[in-house]
Amino acid sequence: MSSPKQQEEREVRGASRREFLKTAATGAAAVMGAPGAAQAFDFESFLQKNFRQMSDEEIDEVLDRLSRKYSKKYGKDVTVDAVGPMDDVVYGYGLDISRCIGCRRCVYACVEENNQSRDPEIQWIRVLEFEREAATRGIDMEDGNPYYDHETVPAEDKFYLPMACMHCEDSPCTNVCPTGATWSDPDGIVVIDYDWCIGCRYCMAACPYGARKFNWGEPNVSAEDINPDMHLLGNRPRSRGVVEKCSFCIQRVRKGRYPACLEACPVGARKFGNLLDPDSEIRYLLKHKRTFVLKSELKTNPKFFYFYG
Amino acid sequence: MASNSPDPEDYRPPGYQLVTWVILGLAVVVVFGLTSIRTDHQPDTSRDYPSRPQLPDVEPVLLPPPPMDDEYFPCSDCHEDEPPNPIERELEDEHDEMDFEHGTLWCLDCHDLNDREKLHLADDALVEFEDSWQLCTQCHGKKLADWRAGVHGKRTGHWRGPKEYRACVSCHNPHSPPFKPLAPEPPPLRPENITPNGNVRLEAAHE
Repeated sequence: MSSPKQQEEREVRGASRREFLKTAATGAAAVMGAPGAAQAFDFESFLQKNFRQMSDEEIDEVLDRLSRKYSKKYGKDVTVDAVGPMDDVVYGYGLDISRCIGCRRCVYACVEENNQSRDPEIQWIRVLEFEREAATRGIDMEDGNPYYDHETVPAEDKFYLPMACMHCEDSPCTNVCPTGATWSDPDGIVVIDYDWCIGCRYCMAACPYGARKFNWGEPNVSAEDINPDMHLLGNRPRSRGVVEKCSFCIQRVRKGRYPACLEACPVGARKFGNLLDPDSEIRYLLKHKRTFVLKSELKTNPKFFYFYG
Repeated sequence: MASNSPDPEDYRPPGYQLVTWVILGLAVVVVFGLTSIRTDHQPDTSRDYPSRPQLPDVEPVLLPPPPMDDEYFPCSDCHEDEPPNPIERELEDEHDEMDFEHGTLWCLDCHDLNDREKLHLADDALVEFEDSWQLCTQCHGKKLADWRAGVHGKRTGHWRGPKEYRACVSCHNPHSPPFKPLAPEPPPLRPENITPNGNVRLEAAHE
């Protein structure tokens, strides 16, 4: 433990170094000329540490800066928080495939809640349609059709399998990230620090579930549609060149709420809760229902369980 | 060759030393940068987060079922004047527009013959329409267990904290319980119709 004086000294030194870098960078931009300066390059963002290396004060600074930035951009009161995991909580998700009718209400509830780009289109949840008959021979994920377009659902002799991030216990995506921009938090949510994502898409190649989406273009959400209740590692606006995916609605669940997809489901097929609580809904279904996870042979240990209700 | 002219192989351009130092400096910066950037992949579980909310676990609240159809309720408006007929039959003049798809049940299996504003259980105990779940779960016992645990039916609100759940008739029509088909939301665009500059409609993409 360092004495308060040493601490203070370190902070002063840290601040002056940051000041120096800022001045140097501003100088460099000025030298490079007007076009660079006109872009209003965000030096604070450029120099921002990885989320896991930031002190509480540094996180607060970032939250404050981003809240102000987004409030100005969207012309409404936006709050960005970084609420941490609860003690003794590991999240699990259950989906009753005997109930799902493939209506895609969850997909669009997710888009709205999590500020996914409308144009170019990004959707975290993908609902696959399968032949019921084919399933008796075992599901091949490649046979799933996400583009079905019927008058009404469920279509005859079909069943539906919505997919998003499985929040694997042994997540291949986080293992391959070269910058440490994605990791699994203590409550099991696999999160992304968008400021540290360099867009190499190794994680997308590593993910066996196709859960991760890439911003090929500048994402686009209108001020009217933006959800102002944001989490730093969740639904805050992304930029071009970064990867995004389902965060179990981190901005909701860490405040005790259900995820948006669950609340949108008209048939009540979606279940969510604390895997460490023996009385939770998720533990009940793991105990009493036939459950399975996708691609269990890969030993990713997903925390997203499908079950027959 | 005894001249003092410099050996061409030994030639150094002007400012050579400065360039060397700059390159060396950059190398040091890059090396330091890389070592400080690369964090280990395991999350730092000791990390102190700004806030750790803890909400209480509370009993869920049962939402009231949807209001009854004014066209039929209260039942006694019509049935008061009708002599009760307990014989099981196909309805012809009244209620014939309704779908009845609930096994072999007929009206008086659930509706009470003498008190038209009530339902009755298998033991003839009367229940209010609002408490119809008691009637349903006489047969659907497994669903009752799942529903109590929050695994059958829809819950909203908080996974930890205040939450609401719904009675059977909020989602199922008791006269025709299977969930009715509904129109799906639009399908996702195909990859060829999404460009970095925005979405492209199929026709435009093929022009």
